[in-house]
Amino acid sequence: ISRQVLWCPSPHCYLGPFNPGLPVEVPVWLAINLKQRQKCRLIPPEWMDVEKLEEIRDQERKEDTFTPMPSPYYMELTKLLLNYASDNIPKADEIRTLVKETWDTRLAKLRLSADSFVRQQEAHAKLDNLTLMEINTTGTFLTQALDHMYKLRTNLQPSESAHSQDF
Amino acid sequence: AFHICCNIGRISGLSGRRIPRFHLQRAFFQAWLNEKFAPELLESKPEIIECVVEQLDHMEANLKRAKRGDLKVSIHRMEIERIRYVLSSYLRCRLVKIEKFFPHVLEKEKSRAEGEPSILSPEEFAFAKEYMANTEIYLKNVALKHMPPNLQKVSLLKSVPRPNLDSFVFLRVLERQENILVEPETDEQREYTIDLEEGSQHLIRYKTVAPLVASGAVQLI
Repeated sequence: ISRQVLWCPSPHCYLGPFNPGLPVEVPVWLAINLKQRQKCRLIPPEWMDVEKLEEIRDQERKEDTFTPMPSPYYMELTKLLLNYASDNIPKADEIRTLVKETWDTRLAKLRLSADSFVRQQEAHAKLDNLTLMEINTTGTFLTQALDHMYKLRTNLQPSESAHSQDF
Repeated sequence: AFHICCNIGRISGLSGRRIPRFHLQRAFFQAWLNEKFAPELLESKPEIIECVVEQLDHMEANLKRAKRGDLKVSIHRMEIERIRYVLSSYLRCRLVKIEKFFPHVLEKEKSRAEGEPSILSPEEFAFAKEYMANTEIYLKNVALKHMPPNLQKVSLLKSVPRPNLDSFVFLRVLERQENILVEPETDEQREYTIDLEEGSQHLIRYKTVAPLVASGAVQLI
């Protein structure tokens, strides 16, 4: 559960930790909800800045492997914050473009790796710098494809009882 | 997420185990994700579920006493809905697997050794047995009793597919593991071992890591 700093300007906040005018950290779902009710202002994470993101995007394009991302939820946070709080984020459009470019580069690499994984019939892969969002984009498809291939392969040879169904 | 609303420092389930609030949330979400991504039915977690339900009841009770129109009330309500969603998803995921693999689940439970943890809660066990009985009656009435006498038996254990433990899963390592065996995919390949570093993420066959999932050393993602 990702946390987001938000700033509560109104005097309506009775909750213990909420004092008007003071920044407080809350889970993202709460921050978005309060923002939608116009009870606060959201403060973007420090990596959500044009120079920083340009660096990240260039680094990603340079390397063949996946570079570590500033947040394991960079994509989700970008989408949510730009959708609901773009007025709180300076240069929102540039940021959107930069994050999208980084995402596209990473997904292209992922598709290549998945392809070679399947072709070479690998049994194991290490995916350290991948974020959950990226994994879930191709994950289900990949695992189901691998399962199908496995079934086809093991049915090529008549094997010992284990996998066949007898009636 | 629990911390905003919960006033209790420690929660004890009916089984008497005390689980610190923060660990409860983490353990609960872990159990949910593992259940979602594992191809087989995992151990049932009665102490976690009891605590979560108790937690929900407590929060509902708090809400009833709170002033109306409070910001706090709506936040608590959202929190309750979130927890309910996860709980519901978790229980449904288990029920789907029970229905899908019912003869194997029951067989596993029957042949369980004394002291080994159960994969079914008492309610789930009753459900599975009922499901099996209903399926047998249904097959008998719809087809089997019309068959020639020597073909009127069907072994559900043999005809219902078993969970595919060879499916691939994504995981994150919580506790370092050494010398995990990776079996070859093709005849030309040889098996090899890998070390699982804490915090690393992997794609691998479920069968190899099943005991690590059960022990909590890895988390399926």
